[in-house]
Amino acid sequence: MAVLALVGTTKGLFLLWGDDDRRRWQTEGPLLDGWGVYHAMLDPRDGTVFAATNHRVYGSTVQRSADTGTTWTRSKQLGLPEESGLTLDAVWHIEAGRPDEPQTLYLGAAPGVLLRSDDGGASWEVNRGILDHPTRERWFSGAGGMCCHSIQLDPRDRGRMYVGITAAGVFRSENAGQSWIPINNNVETEFLADPNAQVGQCPHKLLMHPARPDRLWQQNHFGVYLSDDHGDSWVRLDRNGLPSGFGFPIMLDPKDPDSAFVIPEKSPEYHYSSGGQLAVYRTRDSGETWELMSDGLPKQAWAAVLREASAYDAASLYFGTQSGSFFALTDGELWVEAVRHLPPILSVEVTPWSG
Amino acid sequence: MVRIAVPSMLAAQAEGRRGFDVEAETVGEALRALPVADLLFNERGALNRHLNVYVDGTDVREHGGLECPLASAHEIRIVAMVSGG
Repeated sequence: MAVLALVGTTKGLFLLWGDDDRRRWQTEGPLLDGWGVYHAMLDPRDGTVFAATNHRVYGSTVQRSADTGTTWTRSKQLGLPEESGLTLDAVWHIEAGRPDEPQTLYLGAAPGVLLRSDDGGASWEVNRGILDHPTRERWFSGAGGMCCHSIQLDPRDRGRMYVGITAAGVFRSENAGQSWIPINNNVETEFLADPNAQVGQCPHKLLMHPARPDRLWQQNHFGVYLSDDHGDSWVRLDRNGLPSGFGFPIMLDPKDPDSAFVIPEKSPEYHYSSGGQLAVYRTRDSGETWELMSDGLPKQAWAAVLREASAYDAASLYFGTQSGSFFALTDGELWVEAVRHLPPILSVEVTPWSG
Repeated sequence: MVRIAVPSMLAAQAEGRRGFDVEAETVGEALRALPVADLLFNERGALNRHLNVYVDGTDVREHGGLECPLASAHEIRIVAMVSGG
């Protein structure tokens, strides 16, 4: 099956059309020219493309296209309730709702808020459980703001969902978002005085394994973590062979819950490739060991891959760098630089297409 | 009637239109009538800070801001500040 990669950049959205073996790609764009596309995805339920777009002058909005990017419609003005004292800083991540709620979508945004649409993205309402969370006063911003960047829905349990917020932590709801509990036990916070703090941790990306929904993977500011009890406890994994615990994206293998892929950076102080080489590290044993996957990646590179800038499907892995290169894995081992010289890449999502 | 000229990024959000003819008594009223008003104001109704608005060549900040009366004005120009990137 061929693949369509939606690549959000600081200056618009690019559609990269890849063939069955991920070796040949065609580039279309920029769409939404000039907008910072923090995240874009194609809704698997009806094919609508959604983009979380931000601009220093024109603010933040969500744009959607029913014709794969030819024409776009903006959501009604986004905003936060006046009594909250907060205003919307940026929109970060769009997640499709459940298959039997075809008009429902979720939007992660800053400052640490979750919004929901029940009309296909035309309008959005803030989630009060997150907005009014009793621990909010102990949340604070990371370098990219206090962004809600990860939204995961348990496919077996329509009440259970997760969000990851920088630097507040990971939260779980058991009642479809009405209330949220922090789930950050054992997650280290070297920057907090209290090593057992309930909140204030800094998840960079949270993913639930689609075939084993109790298994959560997290790339955190301080390490890579795995939970097998829907976030009640976490095990740190990056001391088993990774050059650094610091990084932003994480990728999974939908066929194998024991596999994960990370792209380490030197440290929280130095956001570029660890060891001066762009490299992906793979575990196939739930983080017991890690192995280098660098065939085809540049040997001298001080690159950075942002939290939204990777994706996976059953056939391959994909990521884009802040230096505008897009890589895809071919034959399970060899990386191909499919496109280069794009604007800095902010996000990557993939979806199958018929070719 | 006043003519409002918008930058290309706003035109792209308004089916390509670069100019709009609007009946309004103040600058704020004119801007809020645009189909891209949501890209000019935040949710509290404040004009985005990296925007300049000129009425017949004069910065509206010098004439009461959004309350600036249009009276016999001919043109409003919306310009993104260089600080906006």
